[in-house]
Order: sequence, then C-alpha cells, then structure tokens
Amino acid sequence: MSRILPLLRGVYGIWLREILRATRDRGQMIGGVSRPLVWLLIMGVGLNPYFRGEVFGEVRYVVPYTYLQFLFPAVIVLNIMYTSIQFAVSVIWDREFGFLREVLVSPMPRPLILLGKVLGGSTAATLHGAIVLILARFADVTLTPDQVVMALGAMFALSFGLTCFGVLLASRIRSFEGFGVFSNTIILPLYFTSSSIFPLDPALSRTQMAATYPEWLVFMVQINPITYAVDLLRGILINFNQFPPAYGPAVIAAMAIGFFLLALVDFGRSK
Amino acid sequence: MTKPAVFVENLTCSYAGKRALDGVSLTIPTGASFSLLGPNGAGKTTLINILCTLQGADSGIAMVAGVDVARHPTQARNSIGVVFQDSSLDDRLSAWENLEFHGLVYGMPARKRRQRIDAVLDLVELSDWRETVVRSFSGGMRRRLEIARALLHEPALLFLDEPTVGLDAQTRQRIWAYLDQLRRERDLTVFTTTHYIEEVEGSDQVCILDGGRIVAEGSPQSLKDEYARSWLHVVPLDAAARDTIAAAVPDCRELSHGRLAIPLAGADKVDAFLGQFGSLLAETRYEPPSLESVFLSLTGRELRDRMADRHAIEQAAGRRAGRR
Amino acid sequence: MTWSRWRAGLVNIAAVSLLLVAVSFLPPDTSLRDVQRSGVLKVCVPPTFPPLVTGNATDPGFDVELVQHIADSLGLRLALNPLAAMGSDFNPRNWLLTRAQCDMIAGGLADTLQNRGFLQMLPTGVETGWVVVSRGGTLPAAGATVAVLPATSGFARVALSSWLRGRGWQVQRAANPAALLESVADDQASIGITERFLISTGDAAERGLSVAWLTEEGFARNQMALGLWKGDQTLWRAVNGVVDAMKADGSLEALRHRYGLSGGLDDAPEP
Repeated sequence: MSRILPLLRGVYGIWLREILRATRDRGQMIGGVSRPLVWLLIMGVGLNPYFRGEVFGEVRYVVPYTYLQFLFPAVIVLNIMYTSIQFAVSVIWDREFGFLREVLVSPMPRPLILLGKVLGGSTAATLHGAIVLILARFADVTLTPDQVVMALGAMFALSFGLTCFGVLLASRIRSFEGFGVFSNTIILPLYFTSSSIFPLDPALSRTQMAATYPEWLVFMVQINPITYAVDLLRGILINFNQFPPAYGPAVIAAMAIGFFLLALVDFGRSK
Repeated sequence: MTKPAVFVENLTCSYAGKRALDGVSLTIPTGASFSLLGPNGAGKTTLINILCTLQGADSGIAMVAGVDVARHPTQARNSIGVVFQDSSLDDRLSAWENLEFHGLVYGMPARKRRQRIDAVLDLVELSDWRETVVRSFSGGMRRRLEIARALLHEPALLFLDEPTVGLDAQTRQRIWAYLDQLRRERDLTVFTTTHYIEEVEGSDQVCILDGGRIVAEGSPQSLKDEYARSWLHVVPLDAAARDTIAAAVPDCRELSHGRLAIPLAGADKVDAFLGQFGSLLAETRYEPPSLESVFLSLTGRELRDRMADRHAIEQAAGRRAGRR
Repeated sequence: MTWSRWRAGLVNIAAVSLLLVAVSFLPPDTSLRDVQRSGVLKVCVPPTFPPLVTGNATDPGFDVELVQHIADSLGLRLALNPLAAMGSDFNPRNWLLTRAQCDMIAGGLADTLQNRGFLQMLPTGVETGWVVVSRGGTLPAAGATVAVLPATSGFARVALSSWLRGRGWQVQRAANPAALLESVADDQASIGITERFLISTGDAAERGLSVAWLTEEGFARNQMALGLWKGDQTLWRAVNGVVDAMKADGSLEALRHRYGLSGGLDDAPEP
C-alpha cells in the first residue's frame, strides 16, 4: 500500500492538472458550447422543416424520432471528438514547452504518466459531452437517471479511446499548425460518415428504400468506428439502434483498449 | 566512506553521427558544489539528460547517489531535483499549484506537501505570489519558482542547467547562499552547468567540457595554478599589422573581431612585446590568470562572446514567455 | 485553498451551463404559435371508431372528449375533421392526411414503430391489439375456418397472415364487425380474429362469445395514441403538458373508465 499510494497521488496530480487547465481555458469551454448550439439550434432547427411531415407517408426521412432527437446523441459524440482529439494539443504543448520533462524526471512510471494524462483528457471530454445533455429539453429527449448514468459511462469510455487516439496523433505531429489542419480533416469526415446527420437503414419504410445511399458511402459509414459510438448513445438516449446493440460497446471497448496500448508504446518511445 | 553523488565512467553518447559525449569519466563527492563549464554544444545538456534519466547512453556507466540510472531509473529519479535550461512550469497554473503538482507527482503526503511548499516559497521569496498564475511572472520569478520546485521533494542531488539566466545579482546570491547551507546541513550535492565564469569561481570542483571530452578537472584554484597563463589581448591597427604580429608570435591565439591573445610567461614579456609591436596596436588589455584564461589555454578559444550570448538567451526566454 | 483552485473552472462551467439551460427554453419551431394565432385546433378523426370516436353528440367518444379537453385547456376551438378514408382503409398511408387538413390525428391511431416514422405519437394509455373472438375460449386445430377482420390502426398485418397460414387455418375475410361476430356465433368460423376496438361495440357478450388478447409471439399490444406531425415540437409539448396534467389529476383514468377502456381483456389460452 505504501508503494501504491504515492503512485496514485501522482496519477491524481496529473489528472488534476489536466482538469484545471481544461476548465480554466475559456476558449475550449466556448468551443464546447458553440458546437452543440450550432449543430442543434442552427442546423437542427434550420433543417427541421425538411424533415417534418407534410403528408402522411410522404416523409423523406423515416426514423421513429424527430430530427432533433436523432441529431442529439451525435452532437454529444461530436463534442467529445473535438475535445478528445484537441487534447493532443496539450500533449504537444507539454513537449514543446518542456513541461513534459518535469514529469519525465519524476519517479512516476511512464505508463502511469500516460494514464493520468489520458484520464484527465477523457474527463474533460466527458464533461463537454455532458454539457450537451443540458439541451435534452430543447431536443425533447426525456432522460431518466438510469439513462444519464449509462450515457455518461459510454461517453467516458468513448472519450478514453479518442483521447488515446489524440495522443497517438500528437506523437506523429511536430507542429501546432499541422495539427489544426489535421484535426479538422479527421474530426469532420469521421463525424459526417458516422450516420450522425442522416440515417443509414433503408428498411424502415418503402420511401426510404427508394432512396438508398451509394455503396461507397454505406461502406464508409460502416467502417467508421464513430458510427457505432453514435449508435450506442442513440440506443441509450432515444432507444433507437441502427445496428445490433452489442456493436457499440464492443467497438468502444476495442478503441479504448487498442488505442491506449498503442499510445503506451508510442509514449514509452518518446523522450 | 559514502558513495559519490555522481559517478560517471567512460560515458559515450552520439546521435546523428555526431559524438556528443566521448568517453567522459567523472566523480563528484556527496555535498560538493560541482560546475560543468563549456561552450554551447560541448555536451553539457547531453550529460545532464543522461544523469536525469531522460536519455540513454551508448556505453559507459552513469550512477547517481549510488544508483545506476540506466538500470534503476525510478530510484535514481527520486533522489534528484532538476532545473532545466528552458522553463518547464505550467503557466496556466498558479505558483502554488505548480508546486502542489510536483509534490503529488513525487508522491508526497498532504501534510508534508503543504509544509514543504510553504518552506520553498519562503526561500525564493514568492510567498506573496502563491496564488498568482505563472503566466504573469517575470523571467526571474519563474527561475526562482523552478528552483523552489526542484528542492520541494528534498533531493540529494540538484541539477541546475544554466540556472541563473535572468536572475538579478541579489537573488542569485541568496539562492547560492541557501544552496550552500543545504549542502552543509543535508549534504546536498549541486551540479551546475554554465558558461558564466562568475558562477564557477565559488564551486568546489570544476570540470571543463569541450567537444564531448573533459579537458580539465579540479578546484578553481588548482586549475588556475596548473593551466592559467596571463594573456595580453590586443587589437591590431589593421590586417597587415595583425599578420605581422601573428608571424612573430607563433603561439598567439586568434579571437573574435580580429583581436589576438598573446601568451605571457612573465611580466617582463609585456614590456618586450609592447616595445616591439606597440606601434601596430590600437588597444591592449592585460588578462590576469582566471578560469576564462584556463579555458582559452585548454581549447584555444574564448568561452563565449559574453554579451551576444546573454542577449540571445534572454531573447529566447522572452519569446517563450510571449508565445504562451 | 482547495476551493480557490476550482473556482475559475467552476465559474466557467456554471456560465456555460446557464447559457445552455437558457437556450434550451427557446422554442424549436412555430407550430404552437401558428395554432394559437388561428385559434383553432384541427383534428382529423375517422367518421366512427367506437369507442374512441362514436359520432354521437352525447357520448362523442374517448379520443374526441380528450382532444376537446386539450383544445379547451390551450384556449383553442376544436375543429373535428372526419375523414371517410380513415374509417374505410386499414393503411394510414392511404388516408392521405396532410398538414392542411389537421394539426392532430385522433381516433384509432396506434403507437407503432411504423406510425412513429411519420408522426409524433402521444400515447393515451388505451391498449389495443389483435383479439380472438370465440365461443369456448380455445384456439381450434389446423384446417378450421377463421374469420378475420383487419385493423385500421396501422399495425402490421403481414405477421398476422403468415401466422394464420402457419396454423393451417382457412381464412375467411369478414366485411365488418357484425359479420365477424355473426359468423363465429353461427359456427361458420371456429374463431374470429380482429382488432380490439372494431368489436368493442358489438354484441359479443349477448351472443355468448368471449373476447381475449392474442398472446402469440410477435403480436405485441399497442397503446393508442394521438398523432402530431413530426417537427411540431412546441405543439407536441403543449398537448403533452395537458395530457400529463390529466394523468396527474386522474381525469384521464376517469375518462377511460367512462368508456369502459380501463380494464384489460384476458389472454387467449393456447389450444
């Protein structure tokens, strides 16, 4: 115990630092609010007339929910993706400005340093995802305490995987400028091909069947791991799954474990 | 007999085909004040990095407080405190939070942490700024805070890599006085790298590193006795005058800005030299034996172009601070 | 000390949360405002669908009284729009409902996944499903003749017909509820299968026939519901608020009881 306790303190310290930095960073907080506002308020409400019913059976967009409800879980995932992957900036920052060395000369083992950092990053990302839940009222998503707890769990697991992914990115990118471009070319395509803003399942109605997507797009959606994360949150929050419900947890768990191990290898290599 | 604070034997390290350290051997007794002197690129930072377990060596042994850094890095890290050349503070956190973070990472229990933070903040006279975010600190305050942080976990060995850049004379003196006290009371060993001669004069042991090799080692006085000669720094009137002098005095050294350094065996040599070449000189200056002249004797080069160097370092520090 | 460390971050989180809470009270559309402006709540109903819509002036039906209460509570005048198509065709798609005809649909709409694809449903707590009409209360052996009257409420009939085929029964299509009861009572068919409300006003009891739920796998019972157009979020919320209040003060249960809808049926036994 006397050996473990100091290590736990160290993990806590690293975690705490990430949280303090993330919550004090006004820019990051504003980003965390503006994304859900843009996506739910502007886009969701703006596109609502195109998805609402005019004549029974003539809806182009057949899911058993409103567009806002359909979009809501995806916006949570978007917020988590941004925060997690931009966490990599904090890793690059530490490296550029020498703070990383302060930690590396400490008696903390490398894997625990990484764990503390990743836990901090994923807590911040989960927080950003949880902020979106405040808008549940606006999107007419009713939440029970059970649902909130399950959603937070899923969000944290997703954040963990994506944060590790961010660390992997950071170890391959040398400059901040390069990262900005890179993050946008990763986050937005992943988001758009995750069936976030349109449903994929053509079997819900005849109308939808007539409007199936080209195979290449369906393929991109299906190989995108974010698709299953969005699907899991939809299952929890609005009880709607496009894929077998077991896929979501499996993909998220695989991401969390896989990316953490890869990040561990990378981090051990870094000086 | 206690183990030496630092023991290095035949340490070699190279990267990108360039040899940063070439067979360095070195022993520093516990409680000593040790200075590593050398120009930029001499391998000082490489040696510190290896001793701080940030970097591996190609061959040789490096031990810190009796622990092999390559084999037991975690154990070695517990006994060292490091102040890096570049600031490694988190400038979005307050002074107190930076220290608290350090204490947590070193696994210090809460009460001890609080006690030590108060003590080290007092030492560097930053108690009034404990809640201030580091971003608004001046370069000197950052340095002081870093030194406080490196001492927080009561290390046996303190590494200071170019520690006093940007510090005013008063603070520098105070910090050295405190470090001396710690050395006496707790056998703290202080390992400093610098290229400022003033820093070195007060230390017990000096080591001059050049091109990855140790060229001289000993106490400041013994180095001076052994290697130092008096030099006459002269500025010739023109290039022709310079060539004439260089041809007449084969063991003179060329310095920057067209100056020459003439080695002097005794005081009478000055008169002889001036009598012979006085009409060719615009300016002359007598340099008594010093560590700087030791360095010149050993390497044939000046340690640095003092003003330009200091300016460049402070500019870099300023840019860093501004970019954050 | 500990508090001051968190203060900056907590202030940021609180500010962001307050903003989102405030935003979540913005109306996502104009449907309620439009209805309030015109002062009329238009509701499409079938000509008769007892006991939900009877066509009598004294006992107009459960759904009619419900929507009347809703309109009154919202300060609107109720305009019932009886559509012949709703009574005669089982498929809601063929009712050709449009927004121009009504703001809300009542009387025989089940809360099924299919309907939810086109409308937003507001369950009224009244159950429906396939029922078995029989004399002895038992299901007959293969080869027997079964009278079937399909439902109009828009739930899957394909499952029913394949189940009937699987049982090896002769299917005899009944023209109306009376004909169905007639053929079972006269032994032309061993049992009759239809939807609950279709025979709820018939004289099954007088003819000595029992009515029970069809409990086979895949024949879930559905809640009856009011339907609102998708994307009419604000109107839905207002209507939902009235229904919730009725649930809370017991008047909804009282209304159900008055129309004999509070009690359930027994389950049909296995053969």
